[in-house]
Amino acid sequence: MDYVIYIIPQMIAGIGVSLNIFVLTLLFAIPLGFLMALGRLSKIQPIRKAVEFYVWLMRGTPLMLQLFFFYFALPAVGILLSDFNAAIVAFVFNYSAYFCEIFRSGIGAIPKGQYEAAHTLGMSYTQTMRRIILPQVVRIVLPPVSNETITLVKDTSLVYVLAMNDLMRTTRNLVQRDFNMTPFLVAAAFYLFATFILTEIFNRIEKKYSKHVQQ
Amino acid sequence: MADVKVKIRNLKKSYGNLEVIKGIDLDICEGEVIALVGPSGCGKSTFLRCINKLEDVTGGSIVIEGMTLCEEKNGKVHYAPEQEVRKIVSHTGMVFQQFNLFPHMTVLENLIEAPIQVQKRNPQECIVEARELLKKVGLADKENAYPSQLSGGQQQRVAIARGLAMNPGVMLFDEPTSALDPELTVEVLKIMQELAAEKMTMVVVTHEMGFARDVASKVIFIDEGIIKEQGDPHEVFGNPKSERLRQFLKVLLK
Ligand SMILES: Nc1ncnc2c1ncn2[C@@H]1O[C@H](COP(=O)(O)OP(=O)(O)OP(=O)(O)O)[C@@H](O)[C@H]1O
Ligand SMILES: [Mg+2]
Repeated sequence: MDYVIYIIPQMIAGIGVSLNIFVLTLLFAIPLGFLMALGRLSKIQPIRKAVEFYVWLMRGTPLMLQLFFFYFALPAVGILLSDFNAAIVAFVFNYSAYFCEIFRSGIGAIPKGQYEAAHTLGMSYTQTMRRIILPQVVRIVLPPVSNETITLVKDTSLVYVLAMNDLMRTTRNLVQRDFNMTPFLVAAAFYLFATFILTEIFNRIEKKYSKHVQQ
Repeated sequence: MADVKVKIRNLKKSYGNLEVIKGIDLDICEGEVIALVGPSGCGKSTFLRCINKLEDVTGGSIVIEGMTLCEEKNGKVHYAPEQEVRKIVSHTGMVFQQFNLFPHMTVLENLIEAPIQVQKRNPQECIVEARELLKKVGLADKENAYPSQLSGGQQQRVAIARGLAMNPGVMLFDEPTSALDPELTVEVLKIMQELAAEKMTMVVVTHEMGFARDVASKVIFIDEGIIKEQGDPHEVFGNPKSERLRQFLKVLLK
């Protein structure tokens, strides 16, 4: 127990890095994914095709490869990013592609009749999206978004390869230094705890958005 | 001569090479109840949906309560600017076969959504009016229910009330009872009959010949994209002039 208390401050620093990546990725990837979903459903073919290509590229290559790319390849062509920024860019690019697909299928699941009803009531495109379509989309996409988010918690540990002092690297450093396996357990406990909290949060939001669905 | 609510001239609509509406002229006058009948695929829905721009016409003009939705100039159709279109369209109410209520909103919220968001009316006032409308369609006790908790007939009555909440000049119905069981059909038709008695202007696409005969002030028989016959329901049904209408009625009455 004493040992756990002793390593906690160092681990918290690692947790801070992981949490930062997690929050920033969601903050940018969700809106970006949403905009791309609109692009993917656009009537303008070049936009649609471009987004399609992007999604294919980002989902078709490993996230780790993308991390290496932004970390090593961009400086080679003169774009300098700090390792933290490189990681964020890679995560945002990657996750926005997944969110794009989630939002696209969510928006696609709304029947045409909803748009038609809104149109006959004189609602504008913005009003229709904001008041009629999106609240229904939110309910549909919550489970897959929740899944992605939980995956992201664990994916943050991939920045390990960029020599960043996230929770994973901090943990391994401690294990190597102290010849003690306990840090692994503490790290596992943290990931589990984060997942638990997220599950709770999403359950609540889901409940809120499912009021209208008959039990 | 009563006020003309909707003036339609030479309306044409094609999907690609398929010409569905081949030139329809129609004046919808205040207080008129027009029943649109015709064989499946003759373009009844398409015609109705052109009136509120759910479909873009390929020719002709539409004027709703004096406002020009679209007109044809030198062989090209020009629509009013988008904002204007929305305003004109909101002067028509539409009731769909599949109800199309907003499932995430309660009955009351369904009714007040557009009056508040589109017409920017006072919410309290809208709620009072919405409750009146719900009373009228016999659903005063359902204002807090969600659509999924209602029967099809109740949902359709809410949909009618939602349309009426905008105080439209004309109500358009596209087979409002086709998705309903016979018992539920009756309750919806009863509401429509009451609206007709209150001199609501209505255009109803229907296969309910009883309704067309007893409630409509005018029947229009569409076939092959044009108006084949029109007039007083008893006249049109009792004394069909074209072979097509005779055929159509014979199949229906079988
Ligand atoms: N979006 C569309 N694209 C192509 N063709 C269409 C489209 N909508 C309708 N049509 C065609 O237009 C014709 C008229 O269709 P419409 O739905 O207006 O018929 P209707 O008279 O309402 O028939 P019903 O009684 O079965 O509802 C049909 O031949 C149909 O296949
Ligand atoms: Mg139809």
